[in-house]
Amino acid sequence: MKFLSLDAAWFALILPVIVIFYLLKRRRVRVRVPSTVLWQRYLAETQASAPFQKLRKNWLLFLQLLLLAFAVFALTRPYFAGQQRPSQLRVVILDASASMQSTDVEPSRFEAARREALRWVDGLKPGQLMVVLQAGPRTEVRQSATTDKAALRRALAACAVTDGVARMSEALKMAESLIRDTADAEVHLFSDGAVGSLEEFENRNLPLVFHQSGVRAGNVALASVDVRPNPENPRQRAVFVSVANLTSQSVETTVELGFEGEPLDVRPVTLPAGETVPLVFIVAQEKDGVFTVRHTAKDDLAADNEASVVSLLPAPVRALLVTKGNRFLEKALRSAGEIQLSVASTWAAGMAAAGAGADATGAAGVWDFVVFDDVAPAEWPAVNVLAVRVAATNWFEATAPVRAPSIVDWKTTHPLLRFVNLDNVAVAEAVGVKPPSWGQVIVDSTQAPLVVAGEVGRQRVVWIGFDLLSSTWPLRVSFPMFVANAVEWLNPSTRKAERLNLHAGDPLRFEVPDGVRTAEVRSPGGEWQTVSLDAGAREGVFGATDRQGQYRLRLGTNEVAVAVRAIDPAESDSAPRSEIKVGRFGGTAATTMRSANLEIWRWFAAVALAVLMFEWWYYHRRTA
Amino acid sequence: MLPPLGKSGFNLRRCHWIVPDPLLSARLLHQLEQLELVSRRRSRSAGRGERQSRSRGQSVDFADYRSYVLGDDLRHLDWNLFGRLDRLFIKLYQEERELPVQIFLDASESMLFGAPAKFDFARRLAAALGYVALCGFDRVSVRVFPEPDAGTDPDASAGDPVVLDGLLAGGGGRRRVGAEAARRMALLGVRGKRAALSFFADLAQVTPGGAASFNDAIRRAALQVRQPGAAIVLSDLLDPQGYSGGLDALVARGFHVNVVQILAPEELEPTTFGDLRLADAETGAEQEVTFGKYRLKAYRQVVENYTQKLREYCRGRGLRFFRTRSDAALEGVLLRDLRRAEVLG
Repeated sequence: MKFLSLDAAWFALILPVIVIFYLLKRRRVRVRVPSTVLWQRYLAETQASAPFQKLRKNWLLFLQLLLLAFAVFALTRPYFAGQQRPSQLRVVILDASASMQSTDVEPSRFEAARREALRWVDGLKPGQLMVVLQAGPRTEVRQSATTDKAALRRALAACAVTDGVARMSEALKMAESLIRDTADAEVHLFSDGAVGSLEEFENRNLPLVFHQSGVRAGNVALASVDVRPNPENPRQRAVFVSVANLTSQSVETTVELGFEGEPLDVRPVTLPAGETVPLVFIVAQEKDGVFTVRHTAKDDLAADNEASVVSLLPAPVRALLVTKGNRFLEKALRSAGEIQLSVASTWAAGMAAAGAGADATGAAGVWDFVVFDDVAPAEWPAVNVLAVRVAATNWFEATAPVRAPSIVDWKTTHPLLRFVNLDNVAVAEAVGVKPPSWGQVIVDSTQAPLVVAGEVGRQRVVWIGFDLLSSTWPLRVSFPMFVANAVEWLNPSTRKAERLNLHAGDPLRFEVPDGVRTAEVRSPGGEWQTVSLDAGAREGVFGATDRQGQYRLRLGTNEVAVAVRAIDPAESDSAPRSEIKVGRFGGTAATTMRSANLEIWRWFAAVALAVLMFEWWYYHRRTA
Repeated sequence: MLPPLGKSGFNLRRCHWIVPDPLLSARLLHQLEQLELVSRRRSRSAGRGERQSRSRGQSVDFADYRSYVLGDDLRHLDWNLFGRLDRLFIKLYQEERELPVQIFLDASESMLFGAPAKFDFARRLAAALGYVALCGFDRVSVRVFPEPDAGTDPDASAGDPVVLDGLLAGGGGRRRVGAEAARRMALLGVRGKRAALSFFADLAQVTPGGAASFNDAIRRAALQVRQPGAAIVLSDLLDPQGYSGGLDALVARGFHVNVVQILAPEELEPTTFGDLRLADAETGAEQEVTFGKYRLKAYRQVVENYTQKLREYCRGRGLRFFRTRSDAALEGVLLRDLRRAEVLG
């Protein structure tokens, strides 16, 4: 044991003060007695006339010396040296993701992690710096580098757990930048290990210390909730729900479906251990509203037991197909749900048929999206676009054509490629373009991108870089599925619905009508928050969507519901990890290192207080 | 002023007027008549009584023979002995004398403490012991100390009798004393059961108070007594000057001394705690004490040590010692404790 403030031993000079207290005269009550003979003999045994005496057993003196000893000892700040390295800078990352709400440790993993972090704050030596980062959907710097323990404690106290995912790579990047210029720095991550992929940190030699919290996996989660038109009856809505049992035991529960607060259906479900059970609710929907799904199983993590989805009534989509003739594409478009398709050979003809001007903005009020099949418009319309074999425009920089490109990769996670398999698709020739900065290549070949999807301004654009009729794709099942996905993705109402369904932590973006300067958002807790909008702003952003549930967005006189959900596979799988994988081969095992320099002055202060109280009681007992 | 009390000049009704609160109940008086004071010494008194003495005289108890000399009463010749030895012997009998009983009653200021007051208990005890002695045809004197101060005696007046000062203070000369002194004088030399009521009445009217020096008072009283006999000291024995001087004087004078220490319950178990400044009722000396319940045990030990020291002192000098409390039942003390202590038999 060592002392941080040995100078405090000077306080031991208070000892003579105690003696002075004993020398002080007391106010005494005068009592008349028959004789003082007996009292003199009594005092002869408890007092002495000599200035010094043999120290007698005096409990009060003993207690006071004990009290002072503990107090002085506490002031010297004794500590036990821990297994610490002499780091001058520690970056504390506190995982504030949804899985940290698990209650397998009391009161929660987050609170346990915060307690452990506070112990490390207590263990800071003078001159050592610490930074506090909160890692949730966003990484927040709660406290910049400081040696001020009080500020660090306040920063940790201000951290709050969210319902979102932990974007740990962002936090680690920030931590890495903070320790870049410090040779003996450490990054302390207080987490349960559900941090997603950290591939980019492989071989970066990040001085990461992982403090693991959590003891068991005991979560039953809503793995996914989606509302789509019923394929068999487009007038109805199909609510797809999948419930995952991430525990090691079979669970029986019920899944409840509600719409705008009204219960619609309840289904009992038996969930085998480790299994995911899908459910489909077929319901009628008369108006736009919010579907709420919840399961009633008791588990450690409550955040993903309920999810809400904003569902808008389907509206017919209006589309213009500008083509020189492509029956496959036309039929695929016509079969893709409720679509009002117009076909024209040229862009001007299509606009003329619709009675609109041939300019770019005129199309916005007529079509929801336009399909250019091997026809290059003079100007891109101001609506969503599906362009097939259109190159050499302002959106693409053409290169040499590519013959017989072989498909090597496609992004199955993209909504456009949902259920789409391109294994047996062959392409004769493709337009060579450079991948645009605004788009994402979702189907790639060895030489050139084949399908690109992205947003240019507020327009969604899907670009196919080869002639469909020069490929085998129209003959494959995947083609109508892709077209159906594209129709849905390009449908503006789909985009609107997507904006109203967020994951926790994602910013809420909304279009701002003219003349509106403020927006109000009501959180699931019921508090209204005001968002100030700049004059002329066309889009507003609200970022405080850390909690799942229903939000209400009020813009002027309009009010819409926004659903924020905590569903995320990485967070729902709340099994504590004993190791954080960093890339394929790297990893950081949970440390057993305890807080360095564990200060124990509080214990001595507490004991001193207890002794003080006992002495008080004892004194009054003596003179009572 | 009270009327002068002749030993035969009172009746029961008058006694009730004098003693509104009888010291002893009739039942206790009846029980006390069965007791007597135990004395190991033979009486050397001149008066006749029922105690054995060293003197030879008339009684039924044979003592010794001596040769006949001319002039002896022929009625005491032992004719049987003359028949066997052919010599004349006179039979001698033990003379029975009275036992002078001196009761030293502490009436100092310190005896006024306690509930009931130590003096009240001591006065009743003195009355009871005196009554036992009177029933045994002994001469009883109650010597109350301290003596009333003539200068401060509220009852002293020009009409009071003049007494020899030496009787009260050991000094020479004559002085006029008040009614209190007269009452105390009436308590000296009381004899006979018939004098009991006036004895009780006088005792009941003794006014306690004042500072006393135990040693001086006992020493002076011991010198005043002509015939030493049994002495009973009723006091708390808490004089700052000690007690040995007075008791030694009694022993040296030839008394058979019985010491009864009377302590108040508050002295045995103090009930006042805290930071105290104690003032001695007699000397006015002050003593600062911090006292709490936790020290009761130590205080009790001090009292026991003091008493034990006193007991050992008495044992070493052949005195009988007995300690009692002022709230003790008088019947129990007399009929059980004092008999066990061999003060009464």
